[in-house]
Amino acid sequence: MSALRLLSSAARRAPPALALQRRGYAEVADKIKLSLVLPHQAIFTSADVVQVNITAASGDMGILANHVPSIEPLRPGVLEVIDSANSSKKWFVSGGFANVHPGNSLTINVVEAAPLEAFSPEAVRANLSEALKVVAGNGSEADKIEARIEADVYEALQHALGSK
Amino acid sequence: MSSATWRGVFTYNKYAQITARAVRQSLNETERVAAEKRGTTALKYQKWENGVGGQQVLLIPEVDKTAA
Repeated sequence: MSALRLLSSAARRAPPALALQRRGYAEVADKIKLSLVLPHQAIFTSADVVQVNITAASGDMGILANHVPSIEPLRPGVLEVIDSANSSKKWFVSGGFANVHPGNSLTINVVEAAPLEAFSPEAVRANLSEALKVVAGNGSEADKIEARIEADVYEALQHALGSK
Repeated sequence: MSSATWRGVFTYNKYAQITARAVRQSLNETERVAAEKRGTTALKYQKWENGVGGQQVLLIPEVDKTAA
């Protein structure tokens, strides 16, 4: 009996562990604050979301709560925001940057973004064939590279619209 | 970003404008009209010398609207 009392008083005398900030994996309940902004519109402003899937230049990635701080340039592609266990929304973005800040917040700056329903597959197909014509034609090097950039966007759009 | 050869020819800003224009041109008819306005830029510049302003020049010359 006295041994038990000794043990508990010893535990009380031990200095309490400091609250260290440990980086672990996010729980399902953890959310990250997302700000998704365009030059002309703010789609999200510090909104709590569970996960954001981005098409970074270095590869597709999903960003959860407590992600390590990083800066990722974005390819033209689909950005998916999962704001709770069952609902997610998708936008096609033209490109920009995704910045994860310390303190569990994510800022995504893109130039143009629209929901997938806002696109017209016929327009994409027509634009793509025009761009590929310029790429294969005999214009200037700059024109060809510009057309190649556009063709990449249209191909990414076709892929996004085809496999919603 | 896959065709990274543009790095030798364009600045990042130009690249971003090209991709944004491509996205705008692929929108539905109704959305496209509003979006196209975002793509227009208008800039005038004027060179000053000895306190006297020179000619005001449009960066992108206006297309003559009356031309058929």
